Amino acid sequence: MALGVVRAGVSGVFLVSVLLTDFTNLGRLPVTLLRPAGFMQLLPWSLYEAVMTPRGMFSLMCGTALSLLLSTAGWLTPATTKTSALLVLFYQGLLRNLGHFNHDEMLGVYYLLILAFAPCGDGFSVDGLLRRGRGRERLSEFAYGYPVLLMRALMAWAYFSSALIKLRSSGAGYFSPDTLPALAVRHSLDNLHDTQFRYAFYLFDYRAYTTPLVALVVAWELLFPLALFSKRARRCLLGFGVVFHVSTLFVMNIFFPHFLAMYLVFVDWRGVAARLRGWRGRRDV
Amino acid sequence: MTSQTEQTAPAKVERRRRAAYAALTLALALSQLWAFAAMRDLYPFAAWRMMSGGGEVREGYAYFIARGESASGETVDIRPARLTDALYARTWGLVEATVGNGSFRLRRPHPANAAALRQAGGFDKLPRGARVPELLRAWGEIYNEGIAPDSPRRLRAVRLDAYRRAGGRDTARDELTDTWSVEL
Repeated sequence: MALGVVRAGVSGVFLVSVLLTDFTNLGRLPVTLLRPAGFMQLLPWSLYEAVMTPRGMFSLMCGTALSLLLSTAGWLTPATTKTSALLVLFYQGLLRNLGHFNHDEMLGVYYLLILAFAPCGDGFSVDGLLRRGRGRERLSEFAYGYPVLLMRALMAWAYFSSALIKLRSSGAGYFSPDTLPALAVRHSLDNLHDTQFRYAFYLFDYRAYTTPLVALVVAWELLFPLALFSKRARRCLLGFGVVFHVSTLFVMNIFFPHFLAMYLVFVDWRGVAARLRGWRGRRDV
Repeated sequence: MTSQTEQTAPAKVERRRRAAYAALTLALALSQLWAFAAMRDLYPFAAWRMMSGGGEVREGYAYFIARGESASGETVDIRPARLTDALYARTWGLVEATVGNGSFRLRRPHPANAAALRQAGGFDKLPRGARVPELLRAWGEIYNEGIAPDSPRRLRAVRLDAYRRAGGRDTARDELTDTWSVEL
């Protein structure tokens, strides 16, 4: 069941994101601004010409939303998880062809790819309901548990390697009192970010605290792999993560909503279900 | 009671499943390790470089402000991240790359960009922000959509200003270095 809930959660996050986004306006941007990178370079310009129009983008939105809706519900799961992964992979690539390679949705994209190879339609799904009573082969615990472990490990790697890259690229200089104010101010100057908070400028008054703050964030990233092994550490690390990601919105005008939503893979969904059953049982009594 | 075929089928399925997981894990691990070692993003392989440029952020970098001029002559903050909300946090990356002629640097540029490159006589001969006017026009058209043709709120021009950051607690000393503008 846990894998099914994760499937519904990950697909659902992308579904909401797609439904709340205006695809047609994106199709009004000139195709000559595209800078295909990585695997997106392999696609022909004729495809980009066809997609980067209001109608093309609307069609992409409809196809992606339909596929995500089905994979969220767990209907025709073996097929729809694969089409969802491919369509989201293409759409996210298209966005990065225009802008820069940011990391917010990337973890979710990997999760969709993992789910495409996992038996995530056996529980918490329409497929499961339709198969009920017909008898089915149940796979081992490993088959259902490993994909979730892989997703958790990927998130732990994302944070851990992010800390290592900071130290590799800037060394001890990263802990300079100027690092946080400079990074934050850089993202608070233009009107091209989602939000226009100017709290970054106040950081200059608190330079004495910025070094320990940056050190705390780097330590949190380095320690994040502990979330794989210890429940108590998980609670602390995820709690810190929520505070960190929300604070970057106000201080740096940078927000990682998709990344934050992917914390759902660390929730003990079986425990949640057991608690809900217990609560319902007590209420019925 | 379970039949012989029903017992062997799951074992086969399990083996196939384990092989698929092994392949998936290997593919993810190798791509992640490569991206980390190279410290390079190559879609869809991400090197997790979030906020890693701390030591590099110093004075003198450029930033951009997009503005519109309404029919009534008022200067309007057009908030491009809202006009093309799909890009959201990537809008500043789009502008930086467009100003730097990023779409002309490709090994296989768009045919129209390839033709423009040939006409200019090479990348170095291109004007800075060669495609910025098209971007501004697109923003202007999106902004004006749904606004009555005779409305004073309608934009008649869109402008992108580039500033050089001078440092300090505010933007008072920042210098305007470039401006692109289109009439709609």
